[in-house]
Amino acid sequence: MRAASRGAITAIIIAVIVVAAAAAIIAFRGGGPSATTTTTAPPAPPATSPAAKTTAPPTLRLTGNLEEDVVNIGRFLASHGVHVVKYTAFSKGDPNSVMRVYAIVEAAYRLNKILEKHGVDLRIEVRPVFQRGGSPKAEDILLAYQQGTNPDIVALSYVEIPVLAENGAILDLTNWVSKYSSLWQDFYKALRDAVTYKGRVWGLPQDTEARPLYWRVDVAQCIKEKTGKDILAGLAEKIEKGIVTWHEIYEYMKLAKETGCAEWGIIHRKGSAHPDLIQFIYAYGGRLEDPRTGKLVLDVPAVYKWLYTEWKWARDGLIPENMMHWDWAKQIHPTVVEGKTLVFIGGTWHWTEWQTKPYYTDPKTGEKRPLTAEEVKKYFYFTLFAAGDHGDKPVTLSQPFVWVVASNAGHDNPKYDELKEAYRMLAFLLVVKASDPDINAIHSIISAHLPVRHAAAKLLNDKAWLEKLKNLQLDLSPEVKKAIADIVKKTVNDINVEFLAKASKMLEWTHLTPKNPYYGQLAAIFADAVDKVLRGELTPKQAINYIIQKIKSDPRLAENVEIVGSIPENWKYP
Amino acid sequence: MKMAGRNAALLFFLAPAFILIALFYLVPLAITVYVSFTDMQNWSLYTLRLLPNPLFNYARLFHMMLYDPDFVKVVYTTIVFTLVTLAFNVLGGLGLAIAVYLMEERLSGFFRGLWLLPRMTPVAVYALLWYYFFLGSRDGTLNAILMALGVIDKPVQWGTDPRLLPWSAWAIIIYVNVLVGVSFGMLIFYSALRSIPWEQVIAARVDGASTLQLVRHILIPSIRWHIMFVTVWQLLSLLTTYAHIFLLVEWGVVDRWWSSTWALYVFTTAFGLGGGGPSSTYQGLAAAAAVILALVGAGLGLLALRLLGFRRMIVPPKGEL
Repeated sequence: MRAASRGAITAIIIAVIVVAAAAAIIAFRGGGPSATTTTTAPPAPPATSPAAKTTAPPTLRLTGNLEEDVVNIGRFLASHGVHVVKYTAFSKGDPNSVMRVYAIVEAAYRLNKILEKHGVDLRIEVRPVFQRGGSPKAEDILLAYQQGTNPDIVALSYVEIPVLAENGAILDLTNWVSKYSSLWQDFYKALRDAVTYKGRVWGLPQDTEARPLYWRVDVAQCIKEKTGKDILAGLAEKIEKGIVTWHEIYEYMKLAKETGCAEWGIIHRKGSAHPDLIQFIYAYGGRLEDPRTGKLVLDVPAVYKWLYTEWKWARDGLIPENMMHWDWAKQIHPTVVEGKTLVFIGGTWHWTEWQTKPYYTDPKTGEKRPLTAEEVKKYFYFTLFAAGDHGDKPVTLSQPFVWVVASNAGHDNPKYDELKEAYRMLAFLLVVKASDPDINAIHSIISAHLPVRHAAAKLLNDKAWLEKLKNLQLDLSPEVKKAIADIVKKTVNDINVEFLAKASKMLEWTHLTPKNPYYGQLAAIFADAVDKVLRGELTPKQAINYIIQKIKSDPRLAENVEIVGSIPENWKYP
Repeated sequence: MKMAGRNAALLFFLAPAFILIALFYLVPLAITVYVSFTDMQNWSLYTLRLLPNPLFNYARLFHMMLYDPDFVKVVYTTIVFTLVTLAFNVLGGLGLAIAVYLMEERLSGFFRGLWLLPRMTPVAVYALLWYYFFLGSRDGTLNAILMALGVIDKPVQWGTDPRLLPWSAWAIIIYVNVLVGVSFGMLIFYSALRSIPWEQVIAARVDGASTLQLVRHILIPSIRWHIMFVTVWQLLSLLTTYAHIFLLVEWGVVDRWWSSTWALYVFTTAFGLGGGGPSSTYQGLAAAAAVILALVGAGLGLLALRLLGFRRMIVPPKGEL
């Protein structure tokens, strides 16, 4: 009796397991998003061609005249009973980079004015969502997209484009951008390349930066007083011409340490090799991608020289051995702003970050406070990232942020399936309007990012316009004025504008890291290797073997990375 | 008829439990197994298709296990972390429970409350506390204390110095987890001890039993079932825990590989580790690692039950009840 009922229960359990497993397998057997039509996910493009197309219905076409286009779309939507269109703009960054989302708010304000002028009964509302941190991650956006909860417009790093494009989560803007060719041509060439993937355009540039070497003027002055050597004399030009390379910089750093003028010779970022430290590969004449095959490249000579350079610094006490584990707010920035290092591998945005965040301990009061603009100018000199060896070229590296438009842009609005093309076009026009030179220039100045358009760069030299910005007398939406008022007060000044104008010239030397889906995995291996050589766990040679071993140990990575060159045995550093 | 009615009743009462188990355990397990046969990346449903070689992720994992210089560290860390933390959690929990059982009630309550604090503290706050404690700079609390006392003259990178690895990284992650985990055993064992008839304890005392004899011959034998439960439960929990370790690794206070357990490897492969760089995530590979973890967990759980005499404990008692 008991055995019989036990058997029945066992049979039921087995049946439930089999049914559950079968249900799960059947549910996923389809493989593509089409199998998830019961969820709230928006209809996705066919799996064979995931990229969303931008073919407009016959009644709606973009002309390239923004005013005409927005009025046409406005009238089209209003005629279908839609009078309010809502979008969400999302991005991340340091606190001064809020215009990454408020630029879209401002664009809506300006488009609404056009609609109002033409008597179109339609209003665009934008909900800005801005978070602290690095770039939004493609997989987070993709995950949200598949659930139908994604933002409509996102400003993110250009390296995230491939994943989003390959999965159809963002619009292929090629056809629409071609209508706005004057705007497109006004973007810097390197930035047009940044938004282009597999020959198609997937976004518009939003901001960019450069990564200068910052030099402490007071430490250099101290060295001059103690040794008579004026290392800053014509340094920017010497670096630009390749006269001063990382070999000479090693000697300067050693002087700083030996004279007691600074605790460290150099400080750089923590945690990741991307993007700051990747500059070493380019500076030593290396490459990261094979344009013929599209595969990543482990350029052994360049990577070896980079690792050797860092290893040597750490052994000579010029850089902390645990540099990759330092705390940004408690260690890295305070060390830099308090002049405990001669050199800092930083970014253009640090120029204003030091003016807004309390990293500096005032020796008079003992209180933490930000530096003033005058202090930043007084303490810091900046140059390109020096060439590795004589004969190499100096570099900088940019990681542009770009605006992308979700394939389901406007998905929260009424009659979406019927009117989605209009909603998508309107989202694109918001991004076009957000690229207005003045909006881009404002973002550049308050966040110390570099302008992405020639027209915006020109505006930086317009004294009258700058004066108006300083007093917030520009015609901006009240919401945007409120969001940036405090930042404008702290950052808009002649010193910062002069810095941006000078730093913009660095873009001539800029490099971009590959838009390859496996680049992140390779960069993470580089970061581990740097950490190991800094801490003395591996010699540079062992670190190269470690990298090769790591690449080869993952069959998927191994088939996507070419290993080229060998360790340069006769190379000497410094 | 009677039999059929009995089965129908059984089914009626057990069905809700079966449905819940199927929904929340079996279906996710089946999905995980399926995903492990796919090349799912970056949470893209487009990549959720069966691979031509469905076992590719298992082969990839095996290949990495053989050739990746860091992967073996994950395996060692998992073994050491699980076994040492388990020993501390069970024996420490038992020791604490006996201590508070033998204490005066008011003092016992305070003591139990104190040990529960780590468990009640939000994970991020708790991890941040230990992050600053073990930070390898002058700002690190431990360094500051030792330098003030003159024990060390420059800061020590507790969790990352290669001369101290892997022991220091293991010690940190074990210590941080033990402080949380030990209270679980303490609570279970304490309540079990409280359920022992007081007369037995008094009788033992009257017969002249020392505290050690009381513990050895009365208290521990009375809570064998609970010891087995806590051991198996903790074993399975430790195999799959990663939250505290993840934050310590993410913030860089401990060496990434000498502090990564298998469960953390599954998590970071599926969700990424952050760190500022562009990252790709591999759900197919993570699912394969998760399936292996589940199989190992099931095997170890069964082994633990066998070693702890589970069968003997569920034998019906002899004699009349």
